[in-house]
Amino acid sequence: MTPSRTERIIRVALMALAMFFFMLPIFWLMTTAFKFGREAFAIPPKWIFFDWTLKNFQEVLANSKTPRYIMNSIIVSAGATTFSLLLGVPAGYAIARSRSPLINSSSYFFLLLLMIPPIAMLIPFYLVMRDLHLLGTYAALITLDTVFDAAFVVWMMRSYFMDVPQEMEEAALVDGASPLQAFTKIALPLSVPGIVASALYCIIFSWNDFLFALMLTSPKTKTIPLGILASFSAVEISWGRMAVMSIFAIIPALIIALFLNRYFVQGLTMGAAKG
Amino acid sequence: MRNKTTFFSLVLIIALLAMMLAACAPAQPAEPPAEQPPAEPPAQQPTEAPKEEPAAPEKPFAGTELVLASMTDQYVAAFRYLIPKFEEETGIKITLDELGYVDLYQKLTADFVGHTANYDLMTVDIVWSGEYAQNKYTLPLDDFMERDKDELQLDDIMPVAWTLGEWEGQHWAYPLAGYANVLNYRKDVFADAGLEPPKTQEELLEYAKMLTKPEEDFYGIALLGAKGPAVAQDYMVFVQQHGSSILDEQGNVAINTPKNVEVLKFFGELFKYAPPGATDYWWDQRETAFRSGNVAMMEGWSIARAGYENPDISSVVGKVDIALAPVAEGMEPKYGFGGWGIGINADSENAEAAWEFIKWLTSPEVQKDWILNDGAPIRRSTLEDPELNEKFPWFPVLLESFEKGDGDYRPRIPEYSIIQDALGTTVNAYLVGEMTAEEALEQAQAQVEAALK
Amino acid sequence: MLLSPLLIFIVVIAIYPLFFSFYISFFKYRLTDPNQTRTFLGLANYINAFKDPQVTGAIANTLIFVAGTVIVEIALGLGLALLFAAESRRTQMLRSWMLIPMALPPLVVGLVWKSLYNVDFGVIPYYLKQLGLDMGRGPLGELQWAMPAVILIDVWQWTPLIMVIFLAGLKSLPHEPYEAARVDGATRWQSFWYITLPMLKPTFLVALLLRTMQSFKVFDIIYATTGGGPGSATTVLNYHIYTVGMVFFKMGYAAALANILLIIVAALAILYIIVLERQQI
Repeated sequence: MTPSRTERIIRVALMALAMFFFMLPIFWLMTTAFKFGREAFAIPPKWIFFDWTLKNFQEVLANSKTPRYIMNSIIVSAGATTFSLLLGVPAGYAIARSRSPLINSSSYFFLLLLMIPPIAMLIPFYLVMRDLHLLGTYAALITLDTVFDAAFVVWMMRSYFMDVPQEMEEAALVDGASPLQAFTKIALPLSVPGIVASALYCIIFSWNDFLFALMLTSPKTKTIPLGILASFSAVEISWGRMAVMSIFAIIPALIIALFLNRYFVQGLTMGAAKG
Repeated sequence: MRNKTTFFSLVLIIALLAMMLAACAPAQPAEPPAEQPPAEPPAQQPTEAPKEEPAAPEKPFAGTELVLASMTDQYVAAFRYLIPKFEEETGIKITLDELGYVDLYQKLTADFVGHTANYDLMTVDIVWSGEYAQNKYTLPLDDFMERDKDELQLDDIMPVAWTLGEWEGQHWAYPLAGYANVLNYRKDVFADAGLEPPKTQEELLEYAKMLTKPEEDFYGIALLGAKGPAVAQDYMVFVQQHGSSILDEQGNVAINTPKNVEVLKFFGELFKYAPPGATDYWWDQRETAFRSGNVAMMEGWSIARAGYENPDISSVVGKVDIALAPVAEGMEPKYGFGGWGIGINADSENAEAAWEFIKWLTSPEVQKDWILNDGAPIRRSTLEDPELNEKFPWFPVLLESFEKGDGDYRPRIPEYSIIQDALGTTVNAYLVGEMTAEEALEQAQAQVEAALK
Repeated sequence: MLLSPLLIFIVVIAIYPLFFSFYISFFKYRLTDPNQTRTFLGLANYINAFKDPQVTGAIANTLIFVAGTVIVEIALGLGLALLFAAESRRTQMLRSWMLIPMALPPLVVGLVWKSLYNVDFGVIPYYLKQLGLDMGRGPLGELQWAMPAVILIDVWQWTPLIMVIFLAGLKSLPHEPYEAARVDGATRWQSFWYITLPMLKPTFLVALLLRTMQSFKVFDIIYATTGGGPGSATTVLNYHIYTVGMVFFKMGYAAALANILLIIVAALAILYIIVLERQQI
């Protein structure tokens, strides 16, 4: 039953339509960064033939804060990712290898944690951080990100370790290796793709986070999303500058989607689809 | 198998915790929050009298670092221009943190209630005066002002400008940028139609109607309609211009009066002659609509006036004039006054240096540079300065608006933000047809009363 | 036992605040109050919440948003998965492009769409007008359009995720039933309806519950686009809690609202887990 010619045409047309829908806003964002001032909101819209200029980039980079925003985003993402992996990977391994039903079902506890609406966690966390005088520090933001990241890492790595054959570890244990050695020397190297996938998820989550950063950062620890808000002016529409700041904000997303998508897809679907 | 791991896992836990602490430590001592009752908030008493600093010869505050939170209003350009000069003169370093209106209010409140002292200086909207005073968020400046009264030239500051931060006799912010609510109109459009700029609200509506030509995508008036502070504040402008008020004579919140309902209906009527998107307009978009030449009139803050002559952002260069804001027929003319003060965080450890900046910035000499770089005036000497008048020929209108200015039409009471939040939702709901005018004000009143309970 | 560092961390960092939140929800606790006193109110915060039209409206809006996004995304996601199922180099490349939206910061997505929707200068109303469809106050300005417009933003961002999940589901289907159906002379439509769809049921459930949970978290795009307007047409519960707690700093009331949200979400989450458990068997 080979598809007929009309069907293939319809198929290609639908694909084109889908790509158009999903790529249009991104294309618009990318080109707006190169439109200065009123060009950005010219009517009728200018798609390709306009005055390409780097003025927006110059303006944004002339602002001494931009590197700071980027640096802060890197610090927070790196911190949260590191801690989440350090805490989450061993925990995921422990759950995967445990025979106790209690520990096995504790993975659902982490799943529940993942589902908590961020605002419900933020309100009390803000109060606790306030009482500890930690508001505005990297530590506060990294800690809260780590809660959600680590819960994901556990869930994800548990599924992953369950797929890693146990025989080699058991053989190592028989040969006198300690369980810790079995974990670090055998299970970990086998699960590098899973760890990469988890790490990508953590990076994206922390990099994209806006609500937590909004409440927990100080002027010195602001991350990129807050930098985007700062690029708005009260007196003029400033889509050009907004677009430039946004491009900084979406670089990790682009890299991951286009070059590391194998891992990323795994991260997104595995945690969800596997029981 | 499990039991044998106990020792190793203990080692691992300790190692991990140690690593965690080590990594958190540089930022702050970060002991994990144990299940202890939350500590008492630190007692916050604003320092009563400024410490007598020994009069050091020069640059007594060199090396002090201040953080200034500024609204991303036009005057932020003046801050950017002037701060390096101040830094050079005094050796005080100022970091400027620019925030949008909503974010600024939220971030500042968070800074005050958290006692985090992230900001030493902040621009304070006129309407926050009462709230800041009641909660003692900012430092009362009266002692500073008394001490330095000889150099401050307080008499030169327009009387109405003191409403930028004064509350019940004390000054919780110092006047920074005074705005008059004025009518901007298109000279060319009015000339073509053979009209004079409207003097009364009734004429405003009539002309808006006459000048609206939807088929040419041209509208009579640009208004603020976006949910939130924007629509609430614009509505209150019209409440004032119709001689009504949000408060009754005793100062109680009385939003749902028949008079206010009438004003709201008038406001809704005006929106028929505004661009269709106006119910979504925030300040930036209203300004853009006017500057791109699609509307004939716009009531707005005087600070934006200079921008209409800037060809980089404006399509109406040379076509705009301003007039006094029209008031309802038969009403004693009073003009909406607004703008920003500059305050010092009550928790700041650098109050003296911060005051130094305020003093410097508002001094008559620096005020000229401030105005020339998109700032807004507070001093009579600035408004009457011949050179500035030549450059900004609309200054006489400003001076008159300031002299008959009313800084209290938006009630500067401590409850202001609650009123604005309620009106910001319900007036917008009326404009888009979710509620009737009566329902809208009814609900706003109920919401405010519930919040104040 | 490798589990304990994480458990300790979670208990201290996450569980303690949640209990604290439960505790203060029984108090009147306003940070803007100079003395920041806590007055015991009992259940008053909860009772007021259900009497407050803003809260009940926000709950209704949340449910509409969740239902709207989940239904559209699953329908569209399945369609896309079928469309892009072929394993050619071209579809693989296109698929990786489709991953971009879900990796973007929701705030950026909201801001971009806000400018596309802008009624004066936006691309979408402009072309709709050319087609003779006048949006009046614009997609985000009209009462009846604002919610669908916001839902569309979420659909744009998350449909590719559903597609990816369905692609995984499709790939795991066995070949035999199709062979048998072909022998029996079934049309492709019949084999889709009677074989593919029933066999995809577990994938459906996973996609449904995953997106439901995620949809409940929506905040950034509302913040970036409508601020809950026009009127209160797009004020979801998250956004309302943010306003109460983080703009007006009424912590007791905000905590009570947050707990109501938690209860709704927890009920759904447990349902999710039960489904996962049954699938495992």
